[in-house]
Amino acid sequence: MGSFRSIAGCVVLLSTCAPLPGQWLHYATPGIPRTPDGKPNLSAPAPKTPDGKPDLSGVWVSPGTKYFFDLTADGVEAPMLPRAAALYKERLAQLQKGHPSERCIGHGVTDYDTVPAPRRFIQTAGMIAILFESYNHYRQIFLDGRPLPKLTQPAYMGYSVGHWEGDTLVVDTTGLNEKGWLDMNGHPQTETTHITERYRRSDFGHLDLQLIIEDPNAYSKPWGISMVLNYFADEDMIENMCENEKDYPHLVGK
Amino acid sequence: MKALVFLAVCLPISAQWLRYPTPGIPRLADGKPNLSAPAPKTPDGKPDFSGLWMAAEGKYLPNLAADGVEVPFLPWAAALYKERQESHGMGRPSERCLTHGVTDFDALGTPIRIIQTPGMVAILYEAYNHWRQIFLDGRPLPPTVQTAYLGYSVGKWDGDTLVVDTTGFNDRGWLDDGGHPQTESLHVTERFRRSSFGHVDLQITIDDPGAYTRPWTVNLSGFNFFADSELMESICENEKDVSHMVGK
Repeated sequence: MGSFRSIAGCVVLLSTCAPLPGQWLHYATPGIPRTPDGKPNLSAPAPKTPDGKPDLSGVWVSPGTKYFFDLTADGVEAPMLPRAAALYKERLAQLQKGHPSERCIGHGVTDYDTVPAPRRFIQTAGMIAILFESYNHYRQIFLDGRPLPKLTQPAYMGYSVGHWEGDTLVVDTTGLNEKGWLDMNGHPQTETTHITERYRRSDFGHLDLQLIIEDPNAYSKPWGISMVLNYFADEDMIENMCENEKDYPHLVGK
Repeated sequence: MKALVFLAVCLPISAQWLRYPTPGIPRLADGKPNLSAPAPKTPDGKPDFSGLWMAAEGKYLPNLAADGVEVPFLPWAAALYKERQESHGMGRPSERCLTHGVTDFDALGTPIRIIQTPGMVAILYEAYNHWRQIFLDGRPLPPTVQTAYLGYSVGKWDGDTLVVDTTGFNDRGWLDDGGHPQTESLHVTERFRRSSFGHVDLQITIDDPGAYTRPWTVNLSGFNFFADSELMESICENEKDVSHMVGK
């Protein structure tokens, strides 16, 4: 059982990450602070936009895979309600078969945050776009003061609005569907899931991210994790269109 | 059959765009967007293409040469095009959720968002929830290390026209839904000009000595500004379609 599970994990990992032979293009990122030897100065102060807000723009990467597979990897408790606990248990028992990525459908907010592949933040006065290397998908976060809309079509990425609390960008997302999984292991989300992300660029090279999951239909109280994204200097994303619909017949599970 | 393909690449009929007034755009006295206002500029004086846009006409998606321009096929490319036409377009990447390329995304009749910063332009496509980057920071086109559906794009200014060069394509993409072929030697040049607040002119030149005897150029109808609305999520799940496709 254990070995089957790790094989299934490998299939899923290969299908969601950059292909192993993938080579990132090396191109010196223009305009970033550098030390005298020309290396990126990752401990330089965080840059600001012309209107004085922290500027989160740049290519970032999430280190490691532990939260991608399991948001509770560090031992935080996911306070699952009985129905959610049963579904999670079933997904684990099925070796994660049924994850949207096995049909190239991609990830949602929390698993794109934790996926160990690069993503570019583009920040303008009114919005942030995040371009993910994985699946070549993007996400929009509106900063223009608009409210979260009434749900019209539940979605994998939902609808996101952000506001500033001092130097921290607080992003609220609702409008999620229940087909997405919060992580590869299968912590459930429902149409009432509300995700709060708190981003703080502590210096040039590091972006602190706190993720809080709130869902009265799946969890008895809010829960979450803290992680750090690292600046990915002098590189860029490569195209990664998912063609792993071919994997589907090969996945094992009950 | 064509109807099935059409449904697979367009939005579900029940889809409703979110209505939200686009902030900061020029408006007429009655509050409607003033689409004939002058094109906006960035702080450094370049034309600003930022905003939501949609292809003005749908006819170029099935056929980039819809206006009758002669397509100078090499014999093998002509044969492949004929075969794709006779197979009702079966085998097109989109039937397996595998995205469009540069030219067919330009021609696709669903909304896009252009985000322009001094160093780059990003295009967010509603279709497939895919994106594309165009670097404006003066970098050269790199040697191709991994061919791709969307290739690698760099842009430069020719007066008020943004000229975008793209190489690094694979030979699996189709230039349009009708199946005009491409090879790894494809070089696409797009010329974008924002003629007014509400319109972007777009000319595309296809230069692919692997498939065509000479470069050929089409003037698309460009993009119209898509005001007071928003992109909606359109993750492709039509891998389910493939088993229902008919063709030779």
